[in-house]
Amino acid sequence: MGLGMLASRVMRPTASKLPRNLLSHFHIRPIVSTPESSAAQAQPEPEPTPPPRAPVAGARVHFKNPDDAIEVFVDGYPVKIPKGMTVLQACEVAGVDIPRFCYHSRLSIAGNCRMCLVEVEKSPKPVASCAMPALPGMKIKTDTPVAKKAREGVMEFLLMNHPLDCPICDQGGECDLQDQSMAFGSDRGRFTEMKRSVVDKNLGPLVKTVMTRCIQCTRCVRFATEVAGVQDLGMLGRGSGEEIGTYVEKLMTSELSGNVIDICPVGALTSKPFAFKARNWELKGTETIDVTDAVGSNIRIDSRGPEVLRILPRLNEDINEEWISDKTRFFYDGLKRQRLNDPMIRGADGRFKAVSWRDALAVVAEVAHQTKPEEIVGIAGQLSDAESMMALKDFLNKMGSNNVWCEGNGVNTDADLRSGYLMNSGIAGLEKADVFLLVGTQPRVEAAMVNARIQKTVRATQAKVGYIGPAADFNYDHQHLGIGPQTLIEIAEGRHPFCSALLNAKNPAIIVGAGLFERKDKDAIFSAVETISKYAKVVRPDWNGFNVLLLNAAQAAALDLGLVPESGKSIESAKFVYLMGADDVNMEKVPVDAFVVYQGHHGDRGVYRANVILPAAAFSEKEGTYENTEGCVQQTLPAVPTVGDARDDWKIIRALSEVAGVRLPYDSLGAIRSRIKTVAPNLVHMDEREPATFSASLKPDFSHKMSLTAFGSTIENFYMTDSITRASKIMAQCSALLLKK
Amino acid sequence: MAFTLRSVKVPPNSASLEEARHRVFDFFRAACRSLPTVMEIYNLHDVATVSQLRSTVASEIRKNSHVTNPKVIDMLLFKAMEELGNIAEHAKQRHHIIGQYVVGRQGLVQDVGTKDQGISNFLKNFYNTNY
Ligand code: SF4
Ligand code: FES
Repeated sequence: MGLGMLASRVMRPTASKLPRNLLSHFHIRPIVSTPESSAAQAQPEPEPTPPPRAPVAGARVHFKNPDDAIEVFVDGYPVKIPKGMTVLQACEVAGVDIPRFCYHSRLSIAGNCRMCLVEVEKSPKPVASCAMPALPGMKIKTDTPVAKKAREGVMEFLLMNHPLDCPICDQGGECDLQDQSMAFGSDRGRFTEMKRSVVDKNLGPLVKTVMTRCIQCTRCVRFATEVAGVQDLGMLGRGSGEEIGTYVEKLMTSELSGNVIDICPVGALTSKPFAFKARNWELKGTETIDVTDAVGSNIRIDSRGPEVLRILPRLNEDINEEWISDKTRFFYDGLKRQRLNDPMIRGADGRFKAVSWRDALAVVAEVAHQTKPEEIVGIAGQLSDAESMMALKDFLNKMGSNNVWCEGNGVNTDADLRSGYLMNSGIAGLEKADVFLLVGTQPRVEAAMVNARIQKTVRATQAKVGYIGPAADFNYDHQHLGIGPQTLIEIAEGRHPFCSALLNAKNPAIIVGAGLFERKDKDAIFSAVETISKYAKVVRPDWNGFNVLLLNAAQAAALDLGLVPESGKSIESAKFVYLMGADDVNMEKVPVDAFVVYQGHHGDRGVYRANVILPAAAFSEKEGTYENTEGCVQQTLPAVPTVGDARDDWKIIRALSEVAGVRLPYDSLGAIRSRIKTVAPNLVHMDEREPATFSASLKPDFSHKMSLTAFGSTIENFYMTDSITRASKIMAQCSALLLKK
Repeated sequence: MAFTLRSVKVPPNSASLEEARHRVFDFFRAACRSLPTVMEIYNLHDVATVSQLRSTVASEIRKNSHVTNPKVIDMLLFKAMEELGNIAEHAKQRHHIIGQYVVGRQGLVQDVGTKDQGISNFLKNFYNTNY
């Protein structure tokens, strides 16, 4: 709720409509008592109906059943709402923003802050609108003297024990309490007693607590239990001794814990890494997306000058709702460390020497020309954007080689059918499922936001979750069916008890982890999954429950563009290896005499073996297209300038191609996108999810080719999965403190 | 910046091109005379010599050799005098002098063998900057 909106609401109401002579009685204005209260009785005839207002924040009503519509009157203006909405929601539809602290649309209703009091005709006292269901014909008044006085009183009580430390509080400037006390509070206080103080709690390396500031709205407690699915936070004590805490001395170990910073309406929970770094009005916000996993959460990067200072979530109902994982929120300090900023060549003594772009590109082009085409290999990293992968593929093809792939896309993965590697139900669509079968995937570490959806579904509908894979951590009820392909075969052959659950399900969903792409027997596994989906009717015209959960941001676009290795052996015979941000390639396999070029933004694993380094821009510094695991194409936008002498990825390859004499035919992002359009047209439809058209494919029979080695876990450390997060100090602290040993 | 303003007096405009030309030479002499002090106060002995700096000053002046309007020359002279005053008063720091007059605008990494013929505008721009 913006201050401006609140302020204008305060300006508007009845004070101006009062008879002038009444006001003149109040020469000295006593605290709290507002002149309107006595003027209330003086208001004679009902006022004409005010013109309708636009709903708050584009609030929309969706009528499931037209008979369920009821009509209520908000400030005299009639609105139609579905049955079961609360008074507060009705007011929102009518375009009246009710002040609130404890109410949050994605959490259960607590009704304990009392800030949302409104007057309802025929009710003796003001009612808490967030907890009161709207009844047909209710006459709600949000602007009466009674309601205003009630708010003022609540405000006074809240401020009674709230410290006056706004100047040193990190929430200052974006604090609900600050805004609302400006709008609805009294202009002076009457308390002379000491304020109470509360001992700060240690919630770990991410969330800083100043518990004296807490107003006991319990949003954080409800968030932890309902959305994060951990019972870590709770309310201790009674009355004025009430405190938020973790019951016992304990850190908050949820991968979504950072979101309590956003939902805390005051400065009680703030970001530890961001503490005292900046004021929010100094920051420039850039709306972009996250690349640390394949979900593509929508984020806003707040930067000041060349520095990224914090990352906040952006609302996207289809992908991340309004939450982001801790990794997304706090890895940004990795963008400042270990950066490559000059082109470098490794000298004879094994040390890197900074050179000019001209020299570096000339050397690379020279070596590339001396290598036989089939010995050239190009590997894109997990953070690459579609544009640079397209350029890399085109460049290598022009050099005569087709050994180009993106890490994580196992050998000869079937990239022809999009439905074979996408999350076909969509992330939001998972909420419709009633039985989940997780095959070799640990969504909690692989894609925290997808896991939050499953958790939400399980919590709302008691959906069943079956899991095949190594022992893993879940924050919802699940059945651990087995650890390897053996169980999968049993289910496929209908011999497993879980089969009945699958068969009885209305919308069964199977989620296969992309870690299985790396297995030799992946075709057999996928055909087993296909058998299951056939007999459990997972894929129907109205419901597609066959899902692959990809691991990294580049993967979906890479598969769309056909960056798949043709044979697993090409790297062992390579003489020229071009790593475009690829750090997870097994460097031991590369022959010792091979020439390795590393193009990327961080001095990570790939650099140890590189002969030439070409510095590139990180995702926060460039415009790039990414496709997430459900096939939604989104774009990053540059928030900060590039460091040092770095260049955008696609530009480096375009320049190199010219130096090598095989000039690529595009000079701008627009041109490269039209090239992409000819290969994968869905990649140019920004912010749209292009569902895969499903067609049955013929896969070999599963049972004999499957090896019985158990599924492995793909991600060892949730907090460190790519070159940026590995360079981050905060992520290192998290892995040291929060990972369960 | 009061002290710099005090030291720089705005001279009357040059009446002719001849006079302006004369003033430029006067300025160049003044600059050359201050160079030993400059070397001293900015501790430049290990990065430059007096003669190097002298030719830098000369080339900075030659950059404007196409200017024929005496008024413009007067203006440029005024700016030059201000700059010289700032340098001589130690209003700058060592890296300013090194950056502007010793290394030059090309940056520390000098591109040798600049063969820009026959390359596309894209590549030319690529070598210069990312944007
Ligand atoms: S810490 Fe913040 S979110 Fe939690 S109860 Fe206190 S004020 Fe509410
Ligand atoms: S918002 Fe209604 S009581 Fe808190």
